[in-house]
Amino acid sequence: MELQLGLSLPSTPIFPFKMLDLNSYGYELREGLGPFGINVNNNCGSCSSSCNSSSSGGADDGGGGTKTRRLLDEENRIVPKTLPLLFWTNQRPNDEDEPKDVDDHSSSAIFKNDGEGLVGWPPVKAWRKKVRRRVANVRAAVENSCGGRASSSTYVKVKMEGNAIARKIDISLHHSFESLTTTLMRMFDISDENGQKSFKLTYLDREGDWLLAEDVPWRTFIRSLKYIKLIRSRC
Amino acid sequence: MQKEMAYSFPDEVLKHVFSFIQSDKDRNAVSLVCKSWYEIERWCRRKVFIGNCYAVSPRMVIRRFPEVRSIELKGKPHFADFNLVPDGWGGYVLQWIAEMAGAYPWLGEIRLKRMVVTDESLELIAKSFKNFKVLVLFSCEGFSTDGLAAIAASCKNLRELDLRESEVDDLSGHWLAQFPETCTSLVSLNISCLGSDEVSFSALERLVDRCPNLRSLQLNRAVTLDKIANILRRAPQLVDFGTGNYAAELQPDVFSNLAGAFSSCKELKSLSGFWDVVPAYLPALYSICPRLTSLNLSYATIQSPDLIKLVSHCPRLQRLLVLDYVEDSGLEELASSCKDLQELRVFPSDPFGVEPNVSLTEQGLVAVSLGCPKLQSVLYFCRRMSNAALVTIAQNCPNLTRFRLCIIEPKTPDYLTLDPLDAGFGAIVEHCKDLRRLSLSGLLTDHVFEYIGTYGKKLEMLSVAFAGDSDLGLHHVLSGCESLRKLEIRDCPFGDKALLANAAKLETMRSLWMSSCAMSFGACKLLGQKMPKLNVEVIDETEPPDSRPESYPVDKLYIYRSVAGPRFDMPPFLWSMDEAVKILH
Repeated sequence: MELQLGLSLPSTPIFPFKMLDLNSYGYELREGLGPFGINVNNNCGSCSSSCNSSSSGGADDGGGGTKTRRLLDEENRIVPKTLPLLFWTNQRPNDEDEPKDVDDHSSSAIFKNDGEGLVGWPPVKAWRKKVRRRVANVRAAVENSCGGRASSSTYVKVKMEGNAIARKIDISLHHSFESLTTTLMRMFDISDENGQKSFKLTYLDREGDWLLAEDVPWRTFIRSLKYIKLIRSRC
Repeated sequence: MQKEMAYSFPDEVLKHVFSFIQSDKDRNAVSLVCKSWYEIERWCRRKVFIGNCYAVSPRMVIRRFPEVRSIELKGKPHFADFNLVPDGWGGYVLQWIAEMAGAYPWLGEIRLKRMVVTDESLELIAKSFKNFKVLVLFSCEGFSTDGLAAIAASCKNLRELDLRESEVDDLSGHWLAQFPETCTSLVSLNISCLGSDEVSFSALERLVDRCPNLRSLQLNRAVTLDKIANILRRAPQLVDFGTGNYAAELQPDVFSNLAGAFSSCKELKSLSGFWDVVPAYLPALYSICPRLTSLNLSYATIQSPDLIKLVSHCPRLQRLLVLDYVEDSGLEELASSCKDLQELRVFPSDPFGVEPNVSLTEQGLVAVSLGCPKLQSVLYFCRRMSNAALVTIAQNCPNLTRFRLCIIEPKTPDYLTLDPLDAGFGAIVEHCKDLRRLSLSGLLTDHVFEYIGTYGKKLEMLSVAFAGDSDLGLHHVLSGCESLRKLEIRDCPFGDKALLANAAKLETMRSLWMSSCAMSFGACKLLGQKMPKLNVEVIDETEPPDSRPESYPVDKLYIYRSVAGPRFDMPPFLWSMDEAVKILH
């Protein structure tokens, strides 16, 4: 592509900006050749009309009733508003003009989210994806006959009396008190039968009450479960 | 004397006349007539819309329009919805609230989109505006239920509280109880975005009870199906309702209670919500379906047969949002039942799956275009498309104003001919002369942009991804689309030439977003330096752009016109190309 101005191409150094007196250059061109100078195809004719169309409102800063349609440069000469920084020709751009490493750069930029694929593609709103994930979690719980849980995550905090550290358990993996208890015993290293008998499974429900798990059916337990606590049996 | 009378009216008369002029465009035109009209108009402008919060400063707005009652602000670029804008980018509303608190004591309405709103901002709103009526936070973030509690407690005449699609930190479920017993003014309440535990249902019930003007209510997922009937019976005047969870074990008494509650809502026209649906409960809606004009099932994972049954009961439907479980068969039923359809959005149920999981193709959209002559707005996700189908759609629906097609796999060609989809999209822009918004996808060359530049004269917003061959494509758009306001581009081989050649065009647009394209840092700097009315901002989270050669392409570029100059609140990964800005990194 033939350039009218000595602007920096990707492979050439930038000229000092003093030399790029775009305002006067454009101004000179205008006198001889019309708004966009030579070698511009007809499509660019429409560019002048599109550039000249008045920008729609918004909050205009102060000023009088009339809009200035021209830029005033540093030396207060009137510069045509439609001055481009580059003049377009209708020749196809030279492939060599493209930066050589753009493909590598852009492809590495695309695959950013750790193998999940393209960032932001397909263009599904992030909010919608988050909602769908929450709904899917809940459905997984329902399908595991958990019957719709009190909170959207299937992980529940578990504490054991006498043990300062709280653990987390994925409740959707369990379908009965038996399997839950087995996992909990393993989690807290209670291996022997006596040990198992000495603990009772209690839980905090949605209403804020601590209840004995053995008093309720599994479904009720799952639906209103917020926290689990293993307490020492008093008997 | 008579001549003077003929040429001037007293200010009061003009003010009265201007009060009938609501649209911003018309108001702007009025203000350009002469100095005195400018003065009168600016004193009586009550509503201001600011499409880009960084295009102007709060002080400038206040200086020009001293008596504003309603303000609307938008923050982040649209592509922030798809995680393309890093966290911490900006769009903070606090500065605006702080300045308006002093200048606009009578401010009654604040509408925000994609902005960062803190609890501090909400508390300041609650404290500062005695006549506060409307708060809409669309896709906002940064606040918690504490902030909401402040609003609820202080805003005695609150009419609208709409939090759609916002991210809210759950701290306490009891903020709803902060609405005083004397608050009876609510007309619209949208809390659908709140997570499960954030709403006290009894407080909600009491609130609904005492607000006889409540017309629009969107519940969140915590509200279970059995509770919906209670709410509806307290608010039979509802026009727009968003259910909470629509799932429960099928129990006859719950069903009949629900059906009865719905049938008592004689004004109900619009339904949404439907998180987690049990299809057996859908027939509870049948009594209101004949009146329904808008149905949002886009979170409902119900299959095509159930969808078909429901949709066939809704002959007056104008707007349908649905997942692609609807399939081609469902859309064919839609096309035969719903002749008034104006807007259709079909979302992907499995956007990241490689193989199609449902039988939804271009055929469904073609069927709707054939059967629904009033179709104006389309958003369609699918996995295959053909030029022939697009041409048919274009010919069937010349009144389309919004057409957004997303073929899930980038650069997918016409599945019949393996050609690019240039001709198909070309037909869309050629036939749909009022097209204002277009999103492209599939395999596309520079030719599609030639069509768009030639025919898309009313096009205001264009979204482009993985398309084009060269700068010529971008040049066609920038030089041809006279009405273009917003242009967003990702992963296209567009570089410096088209942008620099059309630099002045950017001052006529609201904004341009380009990411993963081929715009060089050097060209960005040039643009920033030579175009003082543009803010040219480079986003790079890995390293400063000037640590690399000038020819190196920038990662993300956001250019927007502004009279406020460069931002004061730039995060470390954002570089302004304004020469006056000293970069302190």
